[in-house]
Amino acid sequence: MHGDLDLPFFFGADDGLFGMYHAGTPTARRAFLMCPSLGQDLIRCHRLYRQLAQALAMQGVPVLRFDYHGTGDAAGSSGEVDWSRCVEDTVTAAVELRRRAGIDRVVAFGARLGGSIAMAAAGRAGFTEVIAWDPVLDGGDYVAALDAMQAALREDGERFTRPRSHADVAEQWLGFDIGDSLRRQLGALRVATPAVPTLVLDAQSLGQSTPWNDLRRLETAILSQPLIQAVTGRLKEVA
Amino acid sequence: MREEAHRFGRARHLVGIAGVPEGARGETGVIVLNAGLVHRIGPFRLHVELTRQLNAAGYPTLRFDMSTLGDSGATGGGMTRTQQVCADLDDAMVLMKNRAGCERFVLVGLCSGAQNAHVVASTDPRVSGAVFLDGYAYRTLGYKLRHYLPRVADPGRWARWLRGRPGGGGADKAAPEPVFAVAPAPRDQVIADFTGMVGRGMKLYLVYSGGISNYFNHARQFRECFGKVMSHPAVTTRYLAETDHTYILTGDRARLLDGIGGWLARNFPPATAGRSP
Repeated sequence: MHGDLDLPFFFGADDGLFGMYHAGTPTARRAFLMCPSLGQDLIRCHRLYRQLAQALAMQGVPVLRFDYHGTGDAAGSSGEVDWSRCVEDTVTAAVELRRRAGIDRVVAFGARLGGSIAMAAAGRAGFTEVIAWDPVLDGGDYVAALDAMQAALREDGERFTRPRSHADVAEQWLGFDIGDSLRRQLGALRVATPAVPTLVLDAQSLGQSTPWNDLRRLETAILSQPLIQAVTGRLKEVA
Repeated sequence: MREEAHRFGRARHLVGIAGVPEGARGETGVIVLNAGLVHRIGPFRLHVELTRQLNAAGYPTLRFDMSTLGDSGATGGGMTRTQQVCADLDDAMVLMKNRAGCERFVLVGLCSGAQNAHVVASTDPRVSGAVFLDGYAYRTLGYKLRHYLPRVADPGRWARWLRGRPGGGGADKAAPEPVFAVAPAPRDQVIADFTGMVGRGMKLYLVYSGGISNYFNHARQFRECFGKVMSHPAVTTRYLAETDHTYILTGDRARLLDGIGGWLARNFPPATAGRSP
């Protein structure tokens, strides 16, 4: 079973990035790079990313999941997360995946900001195709939504016994320190469609919406069988 | 110091990240268990921040996914949940012994992680200390008085009730007790476990948050729940009324980590304390 062979490791400069490699079959023609989202979406999607990686590995597709600097198990603190560094780390991860799989053709996938990062990195990373699930295309709207949720969090009676001070919740988004740099970068973000085939999956194409911005479900895992079927089906089409 | 990624365990089914500071061989190892279904990085990366801060203080650490959680698989061995928890922790302690020479361990668990840590701490002589975050608790008479008396004395509540909500508000409706995220344990058994732990020299740190205010609402409740064992010198308790269950605010998280680090330094001072990672 290829799905049983997933291997955790560190890679990149100073071994600062964390990866989980799911081996495929030697005859595979494409490899699959999974770009995580940032913040709480990364945690909420962890199970789904693993399920998708295992499903693809069972189809013989080599898969690499990884964490950017300052996220997950990678080096760095949450306050050090930087958009340009995320794109750079994605390029590094693509190199690592090609080296491990021995395949040049890499399809990139990402949910929310992970999809945006995959699209932004597509040219430099040389992706064959990008599959983006509910990508963030307008960073201004995204920042406004996070600010609104953080403001609501301060007074969330389901979470706190009494409202917290403005200082307690400042310079954070839903559990994570947020630096001025990342706030500015995301606020100015306008993700263009890359010059490679790009499949955008959304509520309409999947037949179900995803509660990304529901504060009451902030710590509930995001799971989606339609998403797994859509992506595994797409990889079968292009195999 | 570099962290190490491991696939380990009796069936190589577990995934974890070990942090081994230079020169820390033989120190007390700190093992952090999954909180609920969140993978090993912990809620809002709590376990990453905790283990790295402890590495900087000289402690070897392991944050890992227990069977079927996060990136870890199942063994298919037909074990009970308790047997599986004990076997997973045995695998984790063997790894820490191999990587850092650890002979004794402190377990850290939040919510279901506290429950799993409790199971192992009750029986495994290698466990010298435990940090239980929002672990076992029971609605006591004191809890009910603190919870309901202010509501009974609130004229606004009576007015709302009389305006058309016979039967009382749903929010105040008593839930079955005891309340716990995974599976409750008989209070007498939990008290006996705590008593046994301190009796064999273990140090305990119980930190409960305002996020479990539906069944715990005051520092006095530690004693109300568990009796005189909570006054034992080996037991430290802390109630953080303002904080939520998963420490979503970075300041709350920092205070929790400082508290755990201070408790460890007092009870398990490392020979390498203060050394840079």
